Amino acid sequence: MKVNGFLKDVTGASRVTKARRSLIQHGDPNNIYRDPIRETAKELHPEKTDVMITKIEEVSPTAKKYTLKAINGDILPPFKAGQYCSLDLKIGDTITTRPYSICSAPFQARSADPFFELTIRQGKPNEGFVSNWLYDNAKEGDTFTAHLPFGEFCFEPLRDSKNVVALAGGSGITPFYSMAKEIENGTLDIQLTILYGSVSTKDIILEKQLKAIQSDKVKFINVISGEEDYEGEKGFLTKDIIQKYSAEDCSYFICGPLPMYHFVRTQLEEMKVPQRRIRMEIFGAPRDITKADGWPEGFNPAPVKLTVLRGIQEDVIEANPLEPLTVALERAGIPNNSRCRSGACGFCRCKLLSGNVFVPEEGDGRRWADKKYSYYHACSTYPLSDCKIKIIIK
Amino acid sequence: MPFYKDKYDAIVIGGALAGMSCAMKLASEGKDVLILERHNLPGGMATSFVRNGMEMEATLHEMMSLGPTEDPLYIREYLDEMKVAIDWLRVPEAYNLYSPKDDIDIELHAGRRPDGTWICADEIEEQYPGTKGEVNRLLELCKNVYESVLFLNDHSISKAQMLLQHEPLVKTAGYSAKEVIDKTFDLPLAVKKILSAYWIYVGQPLSTLPFTIYAFLMADYMIGGSYVARGFSHEMSVAMAEKCEELGVQFEYGQNVDKILVKDGKVYGVRTSRGDEIHTDYIASAPYPNTVYGKMIEPQSEVPAQARKYANAMPMSVTNFSVVLLLDQKPEDLNIHDYSVFSSDIPFDTDVFWKEGRQLGGWDYLTTICLNYANPDCVKEGMTSLSITFLPLPESFMDVKADDYFAVKNKVAKEMIDRVSDHLGVNLLDHIVEIEIETPVTMSHYTSDYRGGIYGYQQSMDNSVVARLEDIEKEFYIKGLVGCASHQLVGDGMACNINNGRIAARTILTWMKEAEK
Repeated sequence: MKVNGFLKDVTGASRVTKARRSLIQHGDPNNIYRDPIRETAKELHPEKTDVMITKIEEVSPTAKKYTLKAINGDILPPFKAGQYCSLDLKIGDTITTRPYSICSAPFQARSADPFFELTIRQGKPNEGFVSNWLYDNAKEGDTFTAHLPFGEFCFEPLRDSKNVVALAGGSGITPFYSMAKEIENGTLDIQLTILYGSVSTKDIILEKQLKAIQSDKVKFINVISGEEDYEGEKGFLTKDIIQKYSAEDCSYFICGPLPMYHFVRTQLEEMKVPQRRIRMEIFGAPRDITKADGWPEGFNPAPVKLTVLRGIQEDVIEANPLEPLTVALERAGIPNNSRCRSGACGFCRCKLLSGNVFVPEEGDGRRWADKKYSYYHACSTYPLSDCKIKIIIK
Repeated sequence: MPFYKDKYDAIVIGGALAGMSCAMKLASEGKDVLILERHNLPGGMATSFVRNGMEMEATLHEMMSLGPTEDPLYIREYLDEMKVAIDWLRVPEAYNLYSPKDDIDIELHAGRRPDGTWICADEIEEQYPGTKGEVNRLLELCKNVYESVLFLNDHSISKAQMLLQHEPLVKTAGYSAKEVIDKTFDLPLAVKKILSAYWIYVGQPLSTLPFTIYAFLMADYMIGGSYVARGFSHEMSVAMAEKCEELGVQFEYGQNVDKILVKDGKVYGVRTSRGDEIHTDYIASAPYPNTVYGKMIEPQSEVPAQARKYANAMPMSVTNFSVVLLLDQKPEDLNIHDYSVFSSDIPFDTDVFWKEGRQLGGWDYLTTICLNYANPDCVKEGMTSLSITFLPLPESFMDVKADDYFAVKNKVAKEMIDRVSDHLGVNLLDHIVEIEIETPVTMSHYTSDYRGGIYGYQQSMDNSVVARLEDIEKEFYIKGLVGCASHQLVGDGMACNINNGRIAARTILTWMKEAEK
């Protein structure tokens, strides 16, 4: 390249060239690199946080609350009540991750003795394989690599009403416990009414803990569907019950299993609650993908071949059309950037180079152009034929 | 099996627009190129995000230098040459300026009439009679300078030719926009203010903004208008990434380059956070010189004192603070009738606005973009996509602590929303479906750019493209290493960065040729 020397002798231009030379000549010759904004960004979004279980408490006959502290010099980042943490796990030859809502309050993670808590429920025998494993095996002193905080399921003062109605089911109670604790601490200024739907009283998680922090700002109501003689709110989280506990112009925060979410959503629609007053959090892929809208009828879900490209390395593994690509990768021990495992966050974005796949509409958090150019979120993508994908080198 | 080849012809650090543009050019010349991008998406800041199934443009983004298909400007020509296809949508108006303290409320459109006069001159004439001639003359000068700059971008000519053929550029090159406009044009103050609204796209007040840059910006927008991609900025970024890979570029996401390896004053590779050491003789770097010389070069003893002086001397330009909103009604129902509105709550003065950029909030000059008017399909029927932006200096955010971060950003965002609500006479807080607040920390988080900078170094009189050009070849302090982002020659903006990438590629190709000899 020949750089044009045209400006050299032209008065005005040479004046600015000289000014610049003088500017640079007066620069500091030492290494004075300092970037406090980068430091703040890293403190808020650490790459990873090594953590250790320091305490385990039973919070229902089928759920345990785990207290975790940062180790190896890592520091817990600030977070907002309702956000989640993703744990890296190794179970046998399978590597995987799981997202869990943080159930402790943000102030506790930044206190003099910082910690955070996760509550994990024992699932039914055929579901929640990882949660079951953790429930049975995790013990004090165990260490994990955690990634936090993630998620948008938080009270946003510029958007949400200060009257928040929480509609919880199962382990979906955990983000609300975090909010309740933060309210009790005086660091979250909202009115929180928790409607907690369970089949039986045995299923209620964190009941003692939530009852202990009830106040004029935190209300906690169990709604039991499977016990005729329960003395309290009975049935599902219907519009009648929701209405009964709603103040004017509430924000509704829904967290629970997919079927409950669908049911509650219909109730809120019947109540004509505007879209901006509904917030939701769903974790996990559908239990049975063949029931999803758009699943090809009569499709024979025989195992397929998945060619995985990382850099110039190619691996061929087996994949099950009934499981998302993420699971196939994990079974093969190939690390994959999954966080939300619901198709939303996009950390596991990969490129489909060939083959046919299925993405349930509900789990399709992709960008317009990603759809156009065949990029997929591996955690919500099901291989229908032999496929070839390119993923991030981990 | 390894993930990388033993050696690449060139490694590009950062898969944003400049990096992809550079890689595309190198690959089209048959070079074996590796792009290492730390994020899991291409494009850097030229991106989008999805909230509850709804996609939102990351911030205020317009593509300049495209021009219409039948009358392409240089970026469209470059993208066409590279066969990058993007669904561009023309932005309806150039801008609105709303400055009640100056009694200014005007909408300007890009475009020239067949007789060579400018549409916006007529629009100004309507409110400020008798100014048409001077406005046309100013824009004509801008156009002349613009054409010279473009010509010189691709041609090398003698000094004599330069003086003869590019007199307007030569004459104005040493002066600020304010100096040229004040001394050469007889215009009422209000009209000068109206014609200064674009200052924010460079982040430099008119008193220190070189006229050359002002002229380039004005002419480019007023000739060619501006554009957004149908699929948000992410579409442009993915289209370019796809083209890179088609041309044989190895594009790896999620790979943070920690170190640039140097020996005897020459690069020989990089090391990623994962620990991969990858070799090459040529590196194009998106990280700022401050970061490169301050902590990436290994060993640090290879950094010459002059390189440190260079990086330390140039003041950082602006960073970004944006509030991105999805609202629950149609724009008209929220009294939003325009695509682009610059607003001032004090008498319009770019020096004052710029100084306000040092403080945290209390910003009087806001840019409000309603994307619906450029891209009606950007949201579901009955909703509005609105962003409110100010570009503060990094020092505004240097003292914000992590524990105060959420509260601080909400406070500033609320203030910005309240101001726009006041202008509209509609309380936007009652209509928010989704909100994202982007701060300098957000910029740093996603790109790791030095101090969250989005525009490189200040394009002031003593450090603009005009001042930089003469010394460009003296500022390669380490052999084989070239900068490739808005901290380079042409400065900030999406189009400028595509150009910065081309220039970086040209530099590397020249070095490669020299090495062959």
